[in-house]
Amino acid sequence: MTIRKMLMASVAVACAAMPVSALADTSGKKIALSNNYAGNSWRQAMLTSWNKVTGEAVKAGVVAAADAFTTAENQATEQAAQIQNMILQGYDAIVLNAASPTALNGAVKEACDAGITVVSFDGIVTEPCAWRIAVNFKEMGRSQVEYLSKKLPQGGNLLEIRGLAGVFVDDEISAGIHEGVKQFSQFKIVGSVHGDWAQDVAQKAVAGILPSLPEIAGVVTQGGDGYGAAQAIAAAKRPMPVIVMGNREDELKWWKEQKEANGYETMSVSIAPGVSTLAFWVAQQILEGKEVKKDLVVPFLRIDQDNLEQNLANTQAGGVANVEYAQEDAIKVIEAAK
Amino acid sequence: MRMLDRVARKPWIWSWVAAFVVWFATIMVTGGASTLDLSQAALTFAAFSIIVGIGQMFVITLGPGNVDLSVPSTMTLAGTVALKLMDVDNAMILAGLGVAVLIGIGVGILNYALIKALRIPPIIATLSMSFIVQSAAIWTNRGLRIKPPNFLADFTIANTLGIPNVAIIALVISVIAWFLLERTIYGRWISAIGQSMPAAKMAGIPVDGTRFVTYVFCAVLASLAGYLLACFSGGAALNMGTEYLLMSIAVVVLGGTAVAGGDSNVPGIWGASLFMFLVVSMLNTYGLGAGIRLIMTGLIIISVIMLAGGRQPGVR
Repeated sequence: MTIRKMLMASVAVACAAMPVSALADTSGKKIALSNNYAGNSWRQAMLTSWNKVTGEAVKAGVVAAADAFTTAENQATEQAAQIQNMILQGYDAIVLNAASPTALNGAVKEACDAGITVVSFDGIVTEPCAWRIAVNFKEMGRSQVEYLSKKLPQGGNLLEIRGLAGVFVDDEISAGIHEGVKQFSQFKIVGSVHGDWAQDVAQKAVAGILPSLPEIAGVVTQGGDGYGAAQAIAAAKRPMPVIVMGNREDELKWWKEQKEANGYETMSVSIAPGVSTLAFWVAQQILEGKEVKKDLVVPFLRIDQDNLEQNLANTQAGGVANVEYAQEDAIKVIEAAK
Repeated sequence: MRMLDRVARKPWIWSWVAAFVVWFATIMVTGGASTLDLSQAALTFAAFSIIVGIGQMFVITLGPGNVDLSVPSTMTLAGTVALKLMDVDNAMILAGLGVAVLIGIGVGILNYALIKALRIPPIIATLSMSFIVQSAAIWTNRGLRIKPPNFLADFTIANTLGIPNVAIIALVISVIAWFLLERTIYGRWISAIGQSMPAAKMAGIPVDGTRFVTYVFCAVLASLAGYLLACFSGGAALNMGTEYLLMSIAVVVLGGTAVAGGDSNVPGIWGASLFMFLVVSMLNTYGLGAGIRLIMTGLIIISVIMLAGGRQPGVR
């Protein structure tokens, strides 16, 4: 009886362990990062996270190589050529932050046909053979208005700062914000400017529109523009509205100063640049033979009044609040999508 | 009447008229309540375009093909390195300014070295230089924003007698530039080279020396603007110069300076810089979508250039 039980138990254990032992070893595999732009602090943090996490993974022998390549001109043609080079160089997987959602599809298809795993993140591609790790940008916009509705139940006028005109992400976040305004009809958007996700551009645009605006209760943003808006509003000597921040260190620092001086309350939301490391682990999991759905969603990083200090302490001076992902996080995201 | 006629023939008048019309249309939205705020904001932000625009104007005056495309990256590098050096310390302000100016001089020398020694056309030479300079900016600080020293941050934001301090700096630079152009032999040389380089050479003008000094002057003004902008906006960012590439050229052209070179004017830079800020503010104020806004900006610029460009030949 006991022997039989033991046998059955060992069979059960063997069955449970089966999928693991059936997985391929990735220690000989090479992964490349194809990145279209490096000219801002978010992208710099993204590359730093990549180097840190993949460097450790290579040292630990999880993969053979994880090289990062960035194109100089932020152009789809240039990045397509870069992907073709990666195919020739024999990489097993390409992790991709794309210059365009559609213009790289040809090159991505070539890579897939050559048996290469392509995982796109942040700037995703629509080619069906590639994996996509996307952020729910619409929800990111909507949640800002939802937060404001709790903070200012009586509603009021909103100033919207948008990103770079004509970019997918800008349209998505803005659509989410407008959805939120529809949902919480006590708010009204009285002005909208493009801040190009840069503090100085946002500062300039806000300073230009501010004189013509009525009193503003809140500023909804896309990240990288909150501090510039605060500067412009302070310079115009207007009462400070609730400005939703975007996880940049200067924004968080300003928020903390205001919080200490007059109890200022707001929240901050953005994607962590470390999403590149999540994409790396997802690619590694796919190479290992795991079955992974083509569309994955990465949670955004939100900072609230009570965890502000802790997040600020973890953020490099002048950088962006960041989370680096581990293999377990990737497995969790993959499981959640199933 | 004669006087009005003479003023109307000045190439810079159209940018001023355009700036005034747009300014008036914007303040009318609030029935005039926003006059002071809008004017101060316009002067503040125009100041940066004015400083880089003047440098670009000197280069463009050198004649066809002369343009400095390294302006944005020079701004970024100067801002980044200066703020890193100062590191929020009020005592280091002058050192930071010195480093910014040195970077300008360095970029200017390298620009002209490429143009002269390697015989690369200026447009290519300064473009490739801008890649090197931008990479240097990325390498020095990896895009981290360091705050400016308190004194400098306050100074760049503050007003003196209602006029923004940065606008006063821009005015001082403009007066110097006007003096150089109109009252010194150097200014005459630039115009002569712009009108005809072979003729200038035969007339015994030190063409190389003049061009060299001009490229250095432009880069120094760009780095100065970068230094001020970084302090004004609370830290240098890697993409802070981007919009000043087209801006620096647009204000020169809108201001009535001849694109073909040989004829420049300083007042036009002011009108055009104010106009460029105000037109975006106006379209934002009227709440137009981004697409319409960009089309309108383009159309308005084209019409101003057409008006400004309609001068009779021979009349200067």
